[in-house]
Amino acid sequence: MTLPNYYLADLPPEAELSPLMVTETCLALKRNRTQYLAVRDTPSILRTLVRTADDWLSDDYPFRKLALKEGPAHTGFSAHTIATGLDNFFRQLTGENLEALLAQELGTIQRLDAFSASNSDGRTRRMALATGPELLGHITAGSVPNPAFTAIVLGLLTRSAQFIKCARGGAYLPRLFLHSLYGSEPKLGACIEIAEWRGGSGELEKALFAQCDGVTATGSDESVEAVRRALPPRARFAGYGHQVSFGYVTREAISGWRAKKLIAAAAADVVAWDQLGCLSPHVFYVEDNSVGFALHFAGQLAEELARREAAEPRGKISTETAAHIAARRAIYEVRAAHAPEQTRHWCSPDSTAWTVVFESDARFALSCLNRFIYVKPVFDVAEALRGADPVRDHTSTVGLAAQEHEMEGLVKQFSRWGATRLCPLGQMQNPPLTWRHDGRALLGDLVRWTDWEQ
Amino acid sequence: MTTPSPFAAYSRRLLAFIERGGADDAPQFSSLARELFALQFAHVAPFRQLCEARRVAPDALPDWRQIPAVPTAAFKELEVTSLAPAERTAVFHSSGTTEHRPSRHFHNAESLAVYEASLLPWFARHLLPAEVGRVCPQRAAGPSEQPTGALGQTRPTFLCLVPPPARTPHSSLVHMFATVSRAFGASGSRFVATAGADNSWQLDFTAALTALRHAGQSAQPVILLGTAFMFVNLLDALEQRGLSLRLPPGSRVMETGGYKGRSRELPKAELHALITSRLGIPHASIVCEYGMSELSSQAYSLITNHASLPFRFPPWCRALVISPESGREVADGETGLLRIFDLANVRSVMAIQTEDLAVRRGDGFELLGRATQAEARGCSLMAV
Repeated sequence: MTLPNYYLADLPPEAELSPLMVTETCLALKRNRTQYLAVRDTPSILRTLVRTADDWLSDDYPFRKLALKEGPAHTGFSAHTIATGLDNFFRQLTGENLEALLAQELGTIQRLDAFSASNSDGRTRRMALATGPELLGHITAGSVPNPAFTAIVLGLLTRSAQFIKCARGGAYLPRLFLHSLYGSEPKLGACIEIAEWRGGSGELEKALFAQCDGVTATGSDESVEAVRRALPPRARFAGYGHQVSFGYVTREAISGWRAKKLIAAAAADVVAWDQLGCLSPHVFYVEDNSVGFALHFAGQLAEELARREAAEPRGKISTETAAHIAARRAIYEVRAAHAPEQTRHWCSPDSTAWTVVFESDARFALSCLNRFIYVKPVFDVAEALRGADPVRDHTSTVGLAAQEHEMEGLVKQFSRWGATRLCPLGQMQNPPLTWRHDGRALLGDLVRWTDWEQ
Repeated sequence: MTTPSPFAAYSRRLLAFIERGGADDAPQFSSLARELFALQFAHVAPFRQLCEARRVAPDALPDWRQIPAVPTAAFKELEVTSLAPAERTAVFHSSGTTEHRPSRHFHNAESLAVYEASLLPWFARHLLPAEVGRVCPQRAAGPSEQPTGALGQTRPTFLCLVPPPARTPHSSLVHMFATVSRAFGASGSRFVATAGADNSWQLDFTAALTALRHAGQSAQPVILLGTAFMFVNLLDALEQRGLSLRLPPGSRVMETGGYKGRSRELPKAELHALITSRLGIPHASIVCEYGMSELSSQAYSLITNHASLPFRFPPWCRALVISPESGREVADGETGLLRIFDLANVRSVMAIQTEDLAVRRGDGFELLGRATQAEARGCSLMAV
């Protein structure tokens, strides 16, 4: 299967984009939207999305097969990692979940089609209509495709034409998703464009932003801020900067009968998308009162990561990234030899495929990712939160493993501290479709409301 | 009366090896490496701990390449030395003003003497014309000794674009420049930079310009030594004033190190082209140096036909390029991390694992840069 040249990202890498090309593309997208997309209603969009998701979940769907065959070379992820990631995303894309998303974000599921009233609207004798942007620009970063996938789904719900700009090398999987839409509904596919260029390509981005009335951006704090500054004042903007995540395991959980499942769940969080997403854990804090729970957890996690590597290997990484891991390992080896009671480390033999570092210092440590995880013993939540204080304003997800009766106390402490998503261990990199990204509204930042007071 | 250190006999044998030029003597390298390994295993506590954790011991070592290499980062947090605190007379820190905790490489008179014995002949071979290099003393001349007589006439003037040693006692680079200036330089040799209270280095452009102009009027060649960022500062200052100089024939430039944000960054080729156009030094007379505070030997890269040749250490120091994935030596032309076995690193450890990426080129290497600055994929936060 070869992909036709529908999108800018389909052009050979040497093809140079010009600001004029971007402008003309945007104008065509808007024309197509008026003709084909603005006239569609929510149920028909939902049908398209659900059908496409079902296709992607089927083993013999040509686009899925292509993603698993060619994806590793394009993305650096192994076929198994891509398959798991695709399954996790497209399983979320059901009619129920999409309706739940609309109800959560807009109060009713008809909001984008006609004036309608939620319960609270009814009490104040009001109806309201939500209108999406005419052209939504998405600036996505990194190689994990989920931010681009989600952006495309949200943009289709709001009936917006869309221009997705991916980081160099990050477009492959989103591009296949768009080709699959184009394959089943060419007119709808003609309302979306995808291109790759290096971030901060000023003239191209200027041309894009001049045409957009809504823009989303994910990436480093600096690049998100740079996008925000470059936007015309009338454009709506949703920016998602740098985030980190970590896990928390209570001693009751780790000493209970579920201990083995818990280790598998922790490993799943490290393995998913090779730990490269903002929802991937850098650290697991494990409650310990000198009994050795955390050390035991670390050793078991290493064994589980070794098993996972055999079945679902980590993707290939650059020599630079491998060198970064090797350099980090080298210093932990010296520390472990010098003070084994404070530092221990477990490494994949003959490769950088996975690394577990046990460190008694509770200070949060940034992992070098690609399946490199820290395990740190803490006495209680308070100690973990003191350790994680440097990343307090940057924490997205806390994966929790605890007994039922401990949960209420834990979630209160973590939410008060500032975490925006609490989930079971094992689900960190697999948020629901309705996940309020970084603790904010998903569609609310993008639509324009029209209130009708009766 | 001081008792001779347990390293004295080794140092004597090493100095003899260096004096013979050390070339192509693999058995001798191996035998010295094993001897030094045994000494360092016995006397450098953090090194012994690392070896024991890896189950490597001097009495069962198949190959010197198996000697555990200590990462440079370990010099920041542990005392990687066999010198007791009272024996330490000098300490070299890793460079950089932003480093919270620098590397520390401790020395005493004996280890500094080996350092200098390693430095001088290899420096001379790459930077000095043969007739000057040949007269090089094995040990640096004392500060009061001035070059005299017929040889003195041929000595080049050394201009060092770094602060003087008295201001920067912990810089191994400044110590290196001071040592070669003293050993090979004419009496007008000088340092033309200053060190701030925060240890940041500033080019003294007026002094540099005066010295360069003065040198330009004499027939004595100039050896201009400095870091890449100091050269950029010098060249930028010359450009701002619209100045181009022509240094005497036989003059040479040695540049070393990166930028670390202290000037605009220039690709090597561009820096060298500017050196040629602003200072009148032909490409073939520009030499790149690779060294670090954790080592006692240096590697040099010459330029021919506008292309840099691989870096090469002297025969008493070997560089291996190691695959970060497998931990094994890479094939020729492949990239990996540089691991250095420096027989002149007597009182710390001989095997150093750097964080520098390099391409293996024959028995030399091409330097690519620091691995820890590698860009990360993904949207996760990499620096708080």
